[in-house]
Amino acid sequence: MNQHTDAAESANALTPLTLLGSKSLRLFSEMGAMFLFCLHAMRLIFSSWGQFPKIIRQIYFIGVKSVTVIALIGLFTGMVMGMQLYFALSLFGADGFLGTGVALSMVRELAPVLTAIMVTGRAGSAMTAEIGVMRISEQIDALEIMGINPMSYLVSPKMAASIISFPILTSLFNLIALFGGWLTGVLLLGANEGVYFYRVQQSLEWDDISGGFLKALVFGVVVCTVSCYQGYFTHLRRDAVGPEGVSQATTHAVVMSCVLILMSDYVLTSLLW
Amino acid sequence: MPGKRHDIRLTNLAVGYGGTPVVSDVNVTLPGGKITVILGGSGCGKSTLIKHILRLHDPLSGAIHIGPHNIMELTRRQWACLKLRLGLLFQDGALLGSLTLGDNVALPLREHTRLKPREAYELAVSKLALVGLEKFAHLYPNQLSGGMRKRAGLARAMVMDPAVLFCDEPTSGLDPINSAELDQLLLELKERFDITVVVVSHDLASMRTIADHVVVLGEGRVLFDGSRDELEATRDDYLRRFLDRLAQERTAPRLSTSRLDPSLLKMDCSELWEQVQE
Repeated sequence: MNQHTDAAESANALTPLTLLGSKSLRLFSEMGAMFLFCLHAMRLIFSSWGQFPKIIRQIYFIGVKSVTVIALIGLFTGMVMGMQLYFALSLFGADGFLGTGVALSMVRELAPVLTAIMVTGRAGSAMTAEIGVMRISEQIDALEIMGINPMSYLVSPKMAASIISFPILTSLFNLIALFGGWLTGVLLLGANEGVYFYRVQQSLEWDDISGGFLKALVFGVVVCTVSCYQGYFTHLRRDAVGPEGVSQATTHAVVMSCVLILMSDYVLTSLLW
Repeated sequence: MPGKRHDIRLTNLAVGYGGTPVVSDVNVTLPGGKITVILGGSGCGKSTLIKHILRLHDPLSGAIHIGPHNIMELTRRQWACLKLRLGLLFQDGALLGSLTLGDNVALPLREHTRLKPREAYELAVSKLALVGLEKFAHLYPNQLSGGMRKRAGLARAMVMDPAVLFCDEPTSGLDPINSAELDQLLLELKERFDITVVVVSHDLASMRTIADHVVVLGEGRVLFDGSRDELEATRDDYLRRFLDRLAQERTAPRLSTSRLDPSLLKMDCSELWEQVQE
């Protein structure tokens, strides 16, 4: 009897530690599964020529349909940066470096990160919901029965489209944000136009641009992997089932994507510059 | 690869989820070229069984032979080839919501054949004509009734000319006329294409119309395996109750719960409720 009581007490004492351990194990296990999921999806991108039209359709959905929101966010982010930097630099009489500040902050950091977060909200959540609904309504089972690999049919085209679309959307963000910086800094606040564009051109090096593209590419893979994975395995969720499971999966996908974007941004920034 | 008229043999099969068996000790042969109805009450594991036969889930133990092939021992490629000769009609059709009926039915052709997209679509429409839906090829699944979705699902299951057609509760949720039409359709398909049909159902009228062979599941095992006439002649107590649609005898009275007191409602509906009662 005493032995039983002791065992129960020690189990109770270990509960927070056990909980932490089991949560960590589950997290690492999920990360590993997601990594394998990503590799599998990438391998199937080139499985047949039939993938090409599906990829085009996904580029339209992920890329083209995100243009408006990316343009708007880019414009206002550039305008805010132009305004804030102008005020800060003017204090030191350094408003000539406005172009440098706007260009470097946009190309290196803000454009890839904000683009990825916006596309997560617009397309990532839709990917999770679409695949999740297909999972709970047996449409994915139907694909398997028809001999169609659901990974190849559903996930790989989205992966390819994300890899293509994210860098292009990031470039668009950069261009429009530089225009936004010019709009407030030069047009509204009176900084010198020639100096602004000279500084933009002079301060940006190839490493900055390629680094920004690399980040966009990594973010594209991260967002697509997390979103598709969460949808694909909706039926295995422990916290909710059915439509509620899809909604939980969608929320989880968006939050997890945003966290992973910022974490990988830090790692990439440390490695690149 | 199996041709048509191949038996499906289940040997010592146990199926279930997460290591927990739903049905075990299954030793039956579903005869080729005939319609087998797998009968049983709700939740007895009928759908689970056919999903395991189609390897949507792995069985806990046992063997599944389709023709001469033990499907558990086939390579991935062999199974992919064999799978093209198997069709499944899901309970609610499981049509892809983002595709029209024509595209849904044409999908396997586009993925697995060298047909041009136009030719695949035309063939798909001809399969839809089999189930009387050729005029609706341009519509999306959510624009159709439940019965139409099932028939479209049947057309999709038939599009690759399967040797074995599985149907998961084809008549559930349909009115008697639509159920009878679907039964006739299955009989016609079996005669016309000389295929093996396995139907999961708890619809006795449907079973009596289409079944050549019947397997009854219950209590986690096979309760009956034989012809329809043998089943009708059975003296087994549970099977007789099932066939005669007799309710299970209860030790406790079913209607023992008290009525809902209108005063418990958050809205004051007592006056209206009394008027309706009168």
